[in-house]
Amino acid sequence: MSRAGIVRALIFFGLLTALPFAVTEHWIVNLGVFTLIYAGLASAWNLVGGLAGYPSLGHAAFFGAGAYAEAIYFQHRDVGANGLLPFFALPVIGAGVAVLGLAVGWIAMRTRSDVFAIVTITLLFVAQTLAFNLNSLTGGSQGIGLPGAPFDVDSYERPFYLVLVLLLAVSMGITWAALHSGAGLSLQAVAADEERARGIGVHVTGVKLLAFAVSVGIAGMIGAVWAYYVTFIYPQFAVDPLITIGMVLMAYLGGRGTLWGPVLGAFILVPAQQYLAYQYGATQLYLIAYAAVFLLIMLLLPRGILPSVGHLTQRRRVVMGRASAEPDQDAATTGVGADGGVMVR
Amino acid sequence: MLDCNRMQRFAPRRRAAAIALVVVTSMLTATACGSSHGNAAKGPTTLTIGISLSLTGDFADPGKAAERGYQLWANTVNAKGGVLGRTVNLKIVDDASSPNQAVSNYQNLINRDHVDLVFGPFSSLLTIPSSAVVNRYHYAFIEPAGGGPAVFAQHLHNLFFVQPAATVQGGMVFADYILSLPADQRPKTAAYPSLDDPFAAPIADAVRQRFEAAGITTVYKSIYPAETTDLSPIIAKVAAAKPDVVVAGTQSEDAYADVRAMIQLKWAPKWLFLSNGANSPVDFPNAVGLANTEGIFSSGDWFAGSTASGSAAFIAAYTKAYGGTADQIDSTSAEAYSCGMLLEEVAAKTGKVDNATIISTLHSGTWPTLEGNLSWDSSGTPQGSYLLEQWIGGKLLAVYPASRAEHPPVTEPLAWAGK
Amino acid sequence: MHTVIQALILGVLTGGVYALMASGQTIIFGVMKVVNLAQGALVIAGAYLSYSLFTSFGLDPFLSILITTPALFGVGAGLQWLFLRPLREEDRAELSLLVTFAVALGIEGVLSVTYKTTYRTIQAGYADRSFSVGGYQISAVRLYAFLLSAALLGLLYLVLERTKFGRAIRATVQNPESARLLGVNARVVAAAGFGIGAATAAAAGSVYGLLYSFNSGSHYDLISRLLSIVVLGGLGSIGSSIVGALVMGVVAALVAALGPPIWSDFSFFIVLLAVLLLRPRGLFGASLRGAL
Repeated sequence: MSRAGIVRALIFFGLLTALPFAVTEHWIVNLGVFTLIYAGLASAWNLVGGLAGYPSLGHAAFFGAGAYAEAIYFQHRDVGANGLLPFFALPVIGAGVAVLGLAVGWIAMRTRSDVFAIVTITLLFVAQTLAFNLNSLTGGSQGIGLPGAPFDVDSYERPFYLVLVLLLAVSMGITWAALHSGAGLSLQAVAADEERARGIGVHVTGVKLLAFAVSVGIAGMIGAVWAYYVTFIYPQFAVDPLITIGMVLMAYLGGRGTLWGPVLGAFILVPAQQYLAYQYGATQLYLIAYAAVFLLIMLLLPRGILPSVGHLTQRRRVVMGRASAEPDQDAATTGVGADGGVMVR
Repeated sequence: MLDCNRMQRFAPRRRAAAIALVVVTSMLTATACGSSHGNAAKGPTTLTIGISLSLTGDFADPGKAAERGYQLWANTVNAKGGVLGRTVNLKIVDDASSPNQAVSNYQNLINRDHVDLVFGPFSSLLTIPSSAVVNRYHYAFIEPAGGGPAVFAQHLHNLFFVQPAATVQGGMVFADYILSLPADQRPKTAAYPSLDDPFAAPIADAVRQRFEAAGITTVYKSIYPAETTDLSPIIAKVAAAKPDVVVAGTQSEDAYADVRAMIQLKWAPKWLFLSNGANSPVDFPNAVGLANTEGIFSSGDWFAGSTASGSAAFIAAYTKAYGGTADQIDSTSAEAYSCGMLLEEVAAKTGKVDNATIISTLHSGTWPTLEGNLSWDSSGTPQGSYLLEQWIGGKLLAVYPASRAEHPPVTEPLAWAGK
Repeated sequence: MHTVIQALILGVLTGGVYALMASGQTIIFGVMKVVNLAQGALVIAGAYLSYSLFTSFGLDPFLSILITTPALFGVGAGLQWLFLRPLREEDRAELSLLVTFAVALGIEGVLSVTYKTTYRTIQAGYADRSFSVGGYQISAVRLYAFLLSAALLGLLYLVLERTKFGRAIRATVQNPESARLLGVNARVVAAAGFGIGAATAAAAGSVYGLLYSFNSGSHYDLISRLLSIVVLGGLGSIGSSIVGALVMGVVAALVAALGPPIWSDFSFFIVLLAVLLLRPRGLFGASLRGAL
């Protein structure tokens, strides 16, 4: 990472961490919690959907698996006097979901591209059905409740918020490493041309399974935090195609395959949606308008905001004759997908 | 009643649509029509009540019915000079049928806009996460539509469910009626096909336990998933078991599908109780044909012929404001309207409308509403009972208990029996 | 045994209708290599069109197909022209998933504004009629629906095999490059292929409205089934999607009849996953490049 990149990361996470201490308004921190949930998910999704070029539509299944693991374990247990036990369970939940992801990925990743997308969305429905049907475990259609956190009312949201910042940092850290390491290069080779990657000696199966497992493991941990935050989960809300669509859309909006793109997408979409939905209510036309904007993004910014902006600035530099322009877009534009065609088979 | 829990998992994926995406339209409409609900102007002359409702997404239809009820009450009470002289100002926000948005909405209402009071959203599934937030800030939570077991399992002292009884009690009144028959006229065997839904299967299950205790043999029971569009195989098995009575835990379209499958199979039980769906005065006959409704039982809380306190005035105001006939009023509107009635009654009795007063006052005594006279246990469970309804002569009539009935129950073969 | 046969009858009849929907999906995939997530929404749009024609003019859904199929052919071709054609070839496979999903949302939005979200059914006079054959109940409307689907699939086969247009489509499916060299206008074929896919959705929609209650959100349930069917078949040919549809219909009906109904749809997804485990390209994946 360039120095500018490090500074940028430090400033971003510094400000993010300071926010719940500087601002005590519950509704703002609450908004921060939901934004971070999606930022973390979009970033995690990006590892497999952006970097490895496997457009998973099934990540919500793993988000739900994490949520259920947390809820099932803690529904009749004490969360500890300080209420932090459910957070200490996260690494275990993450590892468990990652192992599950290995098994699922082993089946699903035998297919590619659009078939992979279909298979993963099928998995999503399988997971939702399981959540409904295994009712002795999951509470089925009755849902499952968690004990409320015993946090101080005045700073109730803060612990959730900080844990989510940490998870986002983990996800972005791994993304950064993947963009700059040997494993990351292998991943990019897989995205570019799987057969050729295999031909030049990349452990294709291992690399992409690892990416999938890490990605869904993070999604599972975020799901667990979410479950503890909302205190009641239900199959339809925990294993929700909406969550998948949300993370995919945010990654596409900001720029898939880039370090900052998915996060940018989440920081634009979540607050906009929550604030405007609250402030102005909604009309009958929202679906149509949503679809219209969705289509516009896809048609006009098929690569997302960051890569498109990156292209523009690079072009300007060329025009201005600054041949020595430092690549300070760093991972934002030099990653896979920055030049659009890389991921396409 | 159950109407208001018409929680459909039938299209779980529909929520994908209800996404954060309210965004765009909101942007468009924000400039076009400005804020439709106005700002929460706070002051001694107004009483601002914050409500999160599903105006889009899965629960949009019942959500809008609740909105009509709330708004009608506010207009009515303001025409009379408001509550304790304060003009009621409703701040209704959309949760797009999403629990995340509902949680955020109550956060915003309470901590950002500092509303004086809050009322509940639509469906237990949104009521539960919302009630945790509302409880944290010690607001009273008068809610019209969250009656599932998980709501009361939280044991929240500030919560009041504004329907006659917990939702799982929906079939009890049918059990009461059947067991009130002379022993030789009761059914001997029963079947219980149910939808896997928090407001369907538990209702049939509660009836089954009563029936089994009374010696009625269970010959068939099963739970089918919400995605089931085709109930023929299940009804075929029900028919093969030849039960005298079918107690179906249904929501809406599975109720219609049950009836249609029975008609296609040319088989009818002697008694047919559909916990929900059949209590819709307009949609049910549209879906199965008016002639086929004859004799089918369901249950409900408020209905057009209700003699509950204020019902006639409610119907008159509703039809004046929104048009249509009394039969077309969704009972969800009456439930929401009743929330406001409770508030008015507390204000009249105590001269105060602060949250602590509301909570302590509602916990003592009995309160007349469109839903009947309500009282609650310490967890917010209402202590009354639903009404048994039956389709007679093409109309949905209250038939039991006799004290509140418009017509005695009719026992004749169902319309398609023996054809 | 009676139950099993009754379930088999039901499964085959249901599978026939899904075969019609899935064949449209397959054609679209064939000519454009696009997985159309809007296929379910188009089916529901067709159902609503039929519903309107039925309630306003009393037009029988089986007749209104003559109106709805051309209408949706136009809609489908238009959608392709507006939203899929502009996608660059190398982005298309991936972006088309999102674009067609957005189209599905848009259709759902239009339908929910027009018709609200109340569930509808088309209550034709024969909707509740049924035949008894050897002790088995066969619902009239299901039988008609099956026969119609079979007839339309036959028609589709004839169009593809016997007409110049059909040959152009098949040539495009097999090899777009050489098709172009042979003078086939790839853009027109792509739009028309999408149009045909939408038209089959319209026909299937009319039937769907007779069989089931639906609202604007019903397409999510449909699309997950349709996707599974075509993946099971291997995205290869109309024939393989018919087999996929019949497998789905029969498996779901059998499990519903014999086992706990809550596992009925689930069982089909398990079959799908098992097939993918053994044959990642689906039952007939080998014929991926084959003719439609």
